Amino acid sequence: MDGQVKGLRGRVDLRVSIGSLDLKNPVLLASGTCGYGAEIEDFVNLEDLGAIVVKGISLEPRQGNPPPRLAETPCGLLNAIGLENVGVEAFIKEKLPWLRERGITTIVNILGNSADEYEELARRLAGNKGIHGLEINISCPNVKKGGVAFGTDPQQAAEVTKRVVAATDLPVIVKLSPNVADICAIAVAVQEAGATAVSLINTLLGMAIDIEQRRPVLGNIFGGLSGPAIKPVALRMVWQVVRCVDIPVIGIGGITTHVDALEFLMAGACAIQIGTANLIDPTAPVKVVQGVIDFMQENNYFSLQALKISS
Amino acid sequence: MAGRFDMTAKVVSIREVAPETFLLTLHAPEIAEYAVPGQFVMIRPRQEAGFDPLLRRPFSIHRVHAQQEHIEILFRVVGRGTRLLAKVCRGSVLCVLGPLGKGFEVRPAKIPVLVGGGLGVAPLLFLADRLKGGKGVIILGALTKGFLLRLDAFSLTGLDVLVATEDGSFGNKGLVTEVLNRLLGRLEAESRRQIIVFSCGPIPMLRAVAGLSKSYQVECQVSLEAYMACGIGLCMGCAIRAGRQGYLHVCKDGPVFPANLIDWDQI
Ligand SMILES: Cc1cc2nc3c(=O)[nH]c(=O)nc-3n(C[C@H](O)[C@H](O)[C@H](O)COP(=O)(O)OP(=O)(O)OC[C@H]3O[C@@H](n4cnc5c(N)ncnc54)[C@H](O)[C@@H]3O)c2cc1C
Ligand SMILES: Cc1cc2nc3c(=O)[nH]c(=O)nc-3n(C[C@H](O)[C@H](O)[C@H](O)COP(=O)(O)O)c2cc1C
Ligand code: FES
Repeated sequence: MDGQVKGLRGRVDLRVSIGSLDLKNPVLLASGTCGYGAEIEDFVNLEDLGAIVVKGISLEPRQGNPPPRLAETPCGLLNAIGLENVGVEAFIKEKLPWLRERGITTIVNILGNSADEYEELARRLAGNKGIHGLEINISCPNVKKGGVAFGTDPQQAAEVTKRVVAATDLPVIVKLSPNVADICAIAVAVQEAGATAVSLINTLLGMAIDIEQRRPVLGNIFGGLSGPAIKPVALRMVWQVVRCVDIPVIGIGGITTHVDALEFLMAGACAIQIGTANLIDPTAPVKVVQGVIDFMQENNYFSLQALKISS
Repeated sequence: MAGRFDMTAKVVSIREVAPETFLLTLHAPEIAEYAVPGQFVMIRPRQEAGFDPLLRRPFSIHRVHAQQEHIEILFRVVGRGTRLLAKVCRGSVLCVLGPLGKGFEVRPAKIPVLVGGGLGVAPLLFLADRLKGGKGVIILGALTKGFLLRLDAFSLTGLDVLVATEDGSFGNKGLVTEVLNRLLGRLEAESRRQIIVFSCGPIPMLRAVAGLSKSYQVECQVSLEAYMACGIGLCMGCAIRAGRQGYLHVCKDGPVFPANLIDWDQI
């Protein structure tokens, strides 16, 4: 395969709409695993995918965490990148034009330390051509409120959502953290606050210890677990959230093959994002799209809706 | 960023050249054609489908045989991935991504001095091959004679080869940096300006090489390592400390860096 998807215009209808966001197909690239697009273009034709969610953007550039930032675990990856990014101004000036010129459907993942920062980010991004949606990463700690992640408290999650929705005309996807007691409570709260959709899951908090050196492997001690190891947890959470909200749900977590993608679509996700799989095989997203098309054709599913398990 | 390939490469041969150290030859036409010395490849250490181990492993391109379309990898078994890789057989197929990263910047007007310690000789043979026919010095180091790697191949490049072993079992007794120190110390300031040092090896060695180069005011380029997930600039995982500029990323800003960019106290 040469990065091209065959049969995109076949009998199977893969189009999805998430609010005003129209996607060619339900396969998206997850934030933090595809750079700003240009880094992965040698390996995938980005226009063949639903959308790209770019690396999380903050108001100011961030340097990220001290190394080591990565640790491999059984079928999984721990990362503590520390949200290193170029900052919103450099993103608009240096990264966005590349995506815009190619007509790539672009969702910007945003992160802040306070509700004010999220709102300010939404405002700065508003009016820039080439951005098709925002994804709010609420897994960041709220600096003002003692460092508790926005994503673990329904009220704070709702507050951030409300502020961003008010500051933009773009569809707003809220990306949920799995590190909570009741993910449905957060999902319902952000739905009520006006979110267009929710995406889940972000990484699961974890750690690894180097027994020879007798110290944590990651410079940051804790990191986020991703990859095939988290898929069952992610799938369960998607299943639950689909059944407690009315807005579209985007499934994320360990999706590596078309089989994984189909599981999430059957659970009721309207679309899926591929993260860690890009890192181990940058052509994975194209293979997933192709695999979904082939499966649907062979089994006479003509729409994504038909895949959903209704119970 | 043209010329990076995600390909399946056939194993042409694999043999143990020193204890736990293997020379792997792969048929990888596109990589052999486009690679420059100092670049690396990401290799999936297992052949079957599956997710364990999950990540590909980075390896320097040890040498290229353009005509046969072969690339060579020199690697040591240090963990699960490299143990699996050591078990591949001739004729089997591996997923290889490359060539990746920024290689050595050769300056034709200067006299190259290559300094490699232990497995750090890996990227230097490719460089020495490209410098063939010119003037230059290669300083190779190892703990002991049995761990000296690819001495024959380095000698065949026609550059002057100096050897240091820590136990004195072969060549000079001591460290490569002592040999480098003597070599640079002997030269007049004027001739020193003609020198460029290319180095790869363990961090303490590179720190010393960088320190010497700095004090003798000699240009120095080093090849560094970091944990990597993607190798192509997607994840930001391969950060290393670089002075005031914060972090550099080994897979795209490197793996070869000007030594003066690196914060040697913090790395
Ligand atoms: C640009 C680059 C070029 C490299 N070139 C070569 C080469 O030519 N030959 C060679 O033998 N090795 C090379 N390495 C190191 C090689 O990638 C690691 O030895 C390998 O990934 C270990 O995999 P493993 O599964 O066997 O070990 P793991 O089980 O993952 O780890 C075992 C041990 O290896 C160390 N390690 C793991 N990954 C790395 C890494 N990326 N860098 C440094 N140490 C690591 C760990 O700290 C641990 O102590 C290179 C690394 C980089 C970044
Ligand atoms: C290296 C790395 C960096 C990430 N950076 C971000 C980020 O900036 N913002 C964000 O919302 N999620 C980030 N994530 C989380 C992923 O987008 C995704 O939610 C998670 O990894 C689970 O999916 P996966 O198992 O397919 O990787 C990152 C994940 C990884 C592995
Ligand atoms: S290894 Fe992923 S950015 Fe360098």
